[in-house]
Amino acid sequence: MKLTQKIKAAALMGIAGSVALISGCAMSPSADLNGMKGGGHEYLLTVTRPNQLHVIDTETNKVIRSCDVPGIFGQGTVEPSPDGRIAYVGTNKWEDVVGFDITNCDIVFSAKQSYSNVTVKSFVSLAVSRDGKELYTVQNPTRKLNDRYEVMQPQLAVYDTSAGLNAKPLRTFPVDRQITKIMAMDSGEVILAGNDVQAINPENGDVRVLTLLQNWNRGDTWTQPDAFAMHTLGEQADEFILPYFTIKWNGDPGEMEKAEFWWGMSRVDLKTGEVEAGEILPFEFIVFNFITDPTDSNILYGAFNTLSKHDISEKKTLAVHNMEHTYYNLNMTQNRTIYVGGTSSDISIHDPDTLEKIGSIKLPGDQSTAAMRIAFLK
Amino acid sequence: MKHLKSFNKKARMIDKATSTDDVEEVVAMQTIVGCTSTNDPGWEVDAFGGLGSLCQPMESDLYGCADACWWPAQVPDTMSNYPDWSQDVAKADEDWRKLDGIFPEEQK
Repeated sequence: MKLTQKIKAAALMGIAGSVALISGCAMSPSADLNGMKGGGHEYLLTVTRPNQLHVIDTETNKVIRSCDVPGIFGQGTVEPSPDGRIAYVGTNKWEDVVGFDITNCDIVFSAKQSYSNVTVKSFVSLAVSRDGKELYTVQNPTRKLNDRYEVMQPQLAVYDTSAGLNAKPLRTFPVDRQITKIMAMDSGEVILAGNDVQAINPENGDVRVLTLLQNWNRGDTWTQPDAFAMHTLGEQADEFILPYFTIKWNGDPGEMEKAEFWWGMSRVDLKTGEVEAGEILPFEFIVFNFITDPTDSNILYGAFNTLSKHDISEKKTLAVHNMEHTYYNLNMTQNRTIYVGGTSSDISIHDPDTLEKIGSIKLPGDQSTAAMRIAFLK
Repeated sequence: MKHLKSFNKKARMIDKATSTDDVEEVVAMQTIVGCTSTNDPGWEVDAFGGLGSLCQPMESDLYGCADACWWPAQVPDTMSNYPDWSQDVAKADEDWRKLDGIFPEEQK
């Protein structure tokens, strides 16, 4: 009898537990998307002046929500959380980070990096770990003294994303100067794009070189590469991508008639950490950023005054489309729709095969230096 | 110049800051933000002495240079010195006429 009662009690508790779990799931904020689509639906995130984060549905190409960002515009860097729900935004003259729930504009995270007489700027560097638990910035501090500025040691700052408002770094580690865009890998390391491409372990600060740029050792045959480490990152192909430009001297250094001009890239697979580095295309025109076609890693698209398509295994430019004005960066959805944006107040939408313009998204202000990232909302 | 000698602490710091090792840190365009010295032409000509690789029109580069403190650009930097310069003008291509010049503040 007692045993039967115990079994019944256990069964009831099991049912109650299951109900609690189900209802817990049903009531949790992550299940309530406020009318937005989950399941990996793609939303384009960007920031415009005066200082607003815009959430754009890539199915309708409409701005569905605009969130007021605290502080003065600058820089408009955006980093989506792995579940696509939170957008971390760099703001207030490149000093603060604010995290928004993109389903309702609620601010769920903030960090002011400057303190006392020390001004801390983060130049584009903003990343979130692949499990979403930690946020990383590269801090460039300068102390203002009575008669001079003291340039202090740059450092990687590690924040707990659940720390809420006014978060403080959990850990800091010294890093090189001149680091801009950064990105987290499955290994837990954070890619640092600066004079060279490095990876830092955010647990202990160990730094290793992924691929050399300024410090490559090619002798006098090649010029030092010139990399543009800003804007586009590569989340649409689960990679980190950084273009560079270099010259090969086939005659004496400086002998332009015999020189070859090359685009190169440093590309890192975020899952495996595998690095590809080298020249990919003859240089024919300026490109600010490249992205990889998510369905074919041999195909790259580039943007600046032109939108271009390239086959890097053949080292060929396949198509070029003149743009209406300059754009700084570009991104792409999984169905291969190209979004070209940055600097001005519109995003130009293009067909990936013909590169023809197929649409436009008007924004209420200039994007300036802002990023244009894809959030995959779960 | 070789006959000049640093006299006070600040002058010695300037001498130290311009040692060869520090000059080596200035590299061609690799650092593109943060009011640092970069070896790149301004808005007059592109890196090849032409115009084709300049941002077009200029309004499509104006805030991208002001906000990033891009050294060759002849605009106030909003990153440190003039954060309020263009706060009332959200679109440079439409409202560039509203943007004013920057003048030294009167010393009182």
